[in-house]
Amino acid sequence: MATTDTHPPDDQPAAPRLSMRVRRALWVWGFLALPVLFYSVIRFYPTLDAFRLSFTEWNLMRPPKFIGLENYREMFADEDFWQVFRNTFAYLIMGTPISLVVSFTIAYFLDKVRFAHNFLRALYFLPFLTTASAMAWVWRWFYQPAPTGIINSVLSQMGMGQMDFLRSTTWALPSIMVTAIWAGLGFQIIIFMAGLRAIPTTYYEAARIDGVGDWAILRKITLPLLKPTTVFLVVFSSIGFLRIFDQVYNMTNNDPGGPLNSTKPLVLMIYQTAFSSFQMGAAAAQTVVLFTILLIVSLLQLWVLRER
Amino acid sequence: MATIELKSLVKSYGRTEVIHSIDLEVPDGEFVVFVGPSGCGKSTTLRMIAGLEEVSGGEVRIGGRLVNEVDPKARNIAMVFQNYAIYPHMSVRQNIAFGLYTSKMSKEEKNAKVEDAAQMLDLTNLLDRRPSALSGGQRQRVAIGRAMVRDPAAFLFDEPLSNLDAQLRAQMRIEIKALHQRLGTTIAYVTHDQVEAMTMADRIVVMKDGHILQAAPPMEIYDNPVDVFTARFIGTPSMNILPARQTGAGMELAEGAPAVLAGLRPADLRVGETPQSGGMVLSGTVTAVEPLGPETLVHFETGGHAVIGSAPGHEIPAIGSTVTAVTAPGKVHLFDPETEKATGRA
Repeated sequence: MATTDTHPPDDQPAAPRLSMRVRRALWVWGFLALPVLFYSVIRFYPTLDAFRLSFTEWNLMRPPKFIGLENYREMFADEDFWQVFRNTFAYLIMGTPISLVVSFTIAYFLDKVRFAHNFLRALYFLPFLTTASAMAWVWRWFYQPAPTGIINSVLSQMGMGQMDFLRSTTWALPSIMVTAIWAGLGFQIIIFMAGLRAIPTTYYEAARIDGVGDWAILRKITLPLLKPTTVFLVVFSSIGFLRIFDQVYNMTNNDPGGPLNSTKPLVLMIYQTAFSSFQMGAAAAQTVVLFTILLIVSLLQLWVLRER
Repeated sequence: MATIELKSLVKSYGRTEVIHSIDLEVPDGEFVVFVGPSGCGKSTTLRMIAGLEEVSGGEVRIGGRLVNEVDPKARNIAMVFQNYAIYPHMSVRQNIAFGLYTSKMSKEEKNAKVEDAAQMLDLTNLLDRRPSALSGGQRQRVAIGRAMVRDPAAFLFDEPLSNLDAQLRAQMRIEIKALHQRLGTTIAYVTHDQVEAMTMADRIVVMKDGHILQAAPPMEIYDNPVDVFTARFIGTPSMNILPARQTGAGMELAEGAPAVLAGLRPADLRVGETPQSGGMVLSGTVTAVEPLGPETLVHFETGGHAVIGSAPGHEIPAIGSTVTAVTAPGKVHLFDPETEKATGRA
């Protein structure tokens, strides 16, 4: 154009030096630069460095010393590690399905409630806004022996025996898990309800005219159409339970992870190895194991629940 | 096969009454189309027939049976929705078979029914596809298939073609009409599109503000609309309504409070024809022309009124030119200016 136009009009702005494509790319990367930088330095670099550190012995006083697979060998020979490993999976395998079933049930019925709907929804969401440690301490108080603990007080008033919730190696883990499930419930309910709302009402009306019952509608229409929501929540909540820490740490803080390691999850073990024993290399090795578990479990779930 | 009767049917939401005691009898096998602007209560009426909305007053009878308190599934009707309501996670076959979910038929019988319906709707090659792999028209056919397999006493259609593009809509109109001729089942069909109403219905029910204005065969409504609203709603382009007064043999434009409203269908207002005695003659300046091929719509202004007439396809007047348009005697619809009710023709 410029070659044929020998006298460009004065009021027309000169063509910019950079092409539109380049200008747009610069603009986009300008905005992206900050989070990219942040994530690289704060997230990705330490993550990658953990892999390197897991092959070293490092107590923060001297530079890390390369020891090959020694950390892993020690870890896998350690009985405590396997106890913690079992605990972590206990949280995952019980916590995820129970929390999803409970939250779906509540969301399903809450969705049908018209009376005080918003108030009820806010009520269910409230625990999610509360600090995990504060919540853990309140639950810890619930679990105390009578007359301090409310649950044991009620039990004894009904003439039943006391429960050693947090001091029993059998019941401590389920007791903590209840707290953790309750803490995540609000979020899951909200997500499930959003998923339920997104299903067009005509699907249900068509089914009603076809004479399909409530149970069949739930199984044949609601649950299949809710699958994307469910996949998201399964993965999200699994990661949550695999990383459980706050509730355990705060509810057993005289002996974190106790009694006798019966409630200790992997993250707490990593924390203790790193910041009580200052064995950074060993902690890094445990982190790598946790990372691997998270990766495998998430991929497995995505594969099992994939669109067919 | 069934009749549908509405007797003094009322629907109210809280204190707001939206359907004001309507009466209608649909004989067995009739294709009746409810038409009206949005909010006129046509969909609500259909949903009351289906049992998706509670009846606030009056009666709904299907096949003579009072169904006010009968569950939708027990009414033996099938419904097709505007958004098709076919399930994205099921194949076409499963979707159609879903209409038979509660039926006590054997598997073979169900399969045979699904195959039959698919054959009739030309879906046989698509039976194993997911709805996401279908076009809008095909999806709507699946929805119709799901309704068909149940052999319902009546089909209810709620704006089934509104989500389709113009070409598909025209094609589906014919298909649904042909289907009705083959099955002979009673159909109640809701639309806001008067072309659909005209082309498909055995009888059109024109609704406005929760009242039935007129229920009659399409040409009867076109020829003898009961009031100004119906006259303007049925037929495209809309009928011209002008204040007028009687002169010796014909009509002429009136100013001030008119004695009568004259309704002229654009198709009857011929531009460029020689005036004869009687009828109505209008002259004005052309503001726009719309050549449609077989005819040309001529927009012109006369006495401060915008009017649409028609000219033969190739006789397109220039914009700004003055034209004379003639309506033959007997083609002028007359309405009372107060009540807007039809009073006859001139």
